[in-house]
Amino acid sequence: MLITGIKSRPVYDLLRPLPGGKRHIVAGQGSGGRAMLRLLDELADLGQQATLLYSEESFSGQNFLAQLQQQPAVELRVYASNQALLEDLKGMLGQARMGTRLYLTGSESFLGTAMQVYTAFDMNRDEVLREHSGTLVRRVWCVHCDTYTENVTQRVYQCPGCDLTLVVRDHYSRRLAAFQAVKADAEVPGELPQAEELDT
Amino acid sequence: MTIKFNRDETYRDDYTFANSPETIARVPFPFPDDDYMYSMNLEPHVSVGDGAFRAAFDIDEHYISECRDRAITLEKDPGMHYVSAPHMMEAQWDLLELIMESYARDYPEYFTLEREGRNWHWVNRLLEIDDHFTFGDPATLPFEPMEYITRQAQGDWVLQEERDGTLYWGAGIATQRADYSLRFNLGMSWEEFHGPVPLVKEIGMLDRALKFLLRLRIGHPVRRLNWSLTVNPRLEVSAESLPEWAPDRTIVTPENAGKRVYLRIELQPLHRLPRSNAIVFPIRTYLLSLEDIATNPAWARRMHRVLKTLNQELVDYKGFSRYRDAAVEWLSQYDKEHGKEDEGERKAG
Ligand code: HEM
Repeated sequence: MLITGIKSRPVYDLLRPLPGGKRHIVAGQGSGGRAMLRLLDELADLGQQATLLYSEESFSGQNFLAQLQQQPAVELRVYASNQALLEDLKGMLGQARMGTRLYLTGSESFLGTAMQVYTAFDMNRDEVLREHSGTLVRRVWCVHCDTYTENVTQRVYQCPGCDLTLVVRDHYSRRLAAFQAVKADAEVPGELPQAEELDT
Repeated sequence: MTIKFNRDETYRDDYTFANSPETIARVPFPFPDDDYMYSMNLEPHVSVGDGAFRAAFDIDEHYISECRDRAITLEKDPGMHYVSAPHMMEAQWDLLELIMESYARDYPEYFTLEREGRNWHWVNRLLEIDDHFTFGDPATLPFEPMEYITRQAQGDWVLQEERDGTLYWGAGIATQRADYSLRFNLGMSWEEFHGPVPLVKEIGMLDRALKFLLRLRIGHPVRRLNWSLTVNPRLEVSAESLPEWAPDRTIVTPENAGKRVYLRIELQPLHRLPRSNAIVFPIRTYLLSLEDIATNPAWARRMHRVLKTLNQELVDYKGFSRYRDAAVEWLSQYDKEHGKEDEGERKAG
């Protein structure tokens, strides 16, 4: 079974103003605030403003709220958690009209769950951009007990659901918004692969 | 043509599964050459001979036992081995129709299908099923149509829907899948679910195969073969149950490899479905122990050469790095010449 070098991980975009947008929704989290600021500048050059959704939940502790508050915007909504932001985004997209453009930026976990939200609304590829930022922490799914673990940084970790020592594969499911992990020492108990940081 | 069915073989625990000489002789042996590499091995799925390529969907002496093993696996972990996206219902009915028509046509002694408009009558004498139902109305069946019919069919079955110029995994029943997770793969695109396979992207094969499949036409199925190795005649070797079966990979020795190591051949006859435009990808698995293979000396010799020279990336991917050498050593008794050549080379060098 292949662990590394699998090609199912998404390729992310750079946020830039999308043409034809009547309403721009920019949703970001933690260090994604940096990409939000850059995008807002570019929108301003085109004379356009956006609705901003920002979650202060951050793995790396980065917070761009103060800078975002300085920006002219249609509206700025702030959330304590990514979950709360995504709930609100769901409501917004539910009422969105034609011409909505969605911009997402933040950790891979955040982008993955946000993609689940907008996929449910059938948005087209040319209506959404995703920019990854910050550390490459992963949301991981345990194939054995169905537990999701957020913010995994190590190739080998212990599953909080079933206690098995798992190895994270570079295999990603957009539906589950998660990487897959399998028992690391399945063949010979105790024979573990090399521990390493997940930085690729 | 009558088949003598093995009614109570097991694919787990005591592993009483065994092939008769007739069944061994009719498997689709997957090695056309002494060395093996992935290739665009797709050919029209036309009826040839009276072996595994005669029927649209082949059945053999293991039919009854294999259906029972599927039922056990499904019961053990609901939601893990059968999944379907809600919008796949039309494709499910397409599949039910295709399997019923094919079985009834190719095996009239075991299956009968009678139709009056939407009122269908299905008889499966092997599993003692006699059901009336309304085609298109899921409430008239005890399971969703795909699960209903594939509980009565050998092999795994996957439904792919075509969108945006690629294929997406829409549904599947997979109680004998080799080392992947069905729930994880649901909703994935062609490129994504093939992500773990080594080399195929680099050699351009994945793109070519996809282009080929997108042109697949109703009534013109194609087939290909794939293969792997498993320790013991175990069908359920999913990623989920890895901790149960992966330890078996350490017990193979040059002495017991003949009995323990099984060649796992997958016959994959792909069909375009008429109403939904989906593609069905069946994976019909044949298990042969190395001892079974050795009943045909030409096969044993070839298999020895294939395993011995197989690219290490494929060995790792297929999961037999730990026992490749033991299997090769056991097979070498059927390929004395090949051994000598090697020694000659070594002496000369
Ligand atoms: C739509 C139909 C198909 C489906 C659903 C499918 C699905 C899969 C899956 C699930 C795997 C295992 C991946 C893993 O390890 O996680 C696989 C492996 C593979 N597939 Fe496909 N496949 C399809 C058609 C094809 C075709 C037409 C070709 C080539 C012409 C192909 C070539 C391969 C190869 C070479 C492997 C590696 C097999 C091995 O070494 O055991 N597939 N496929």
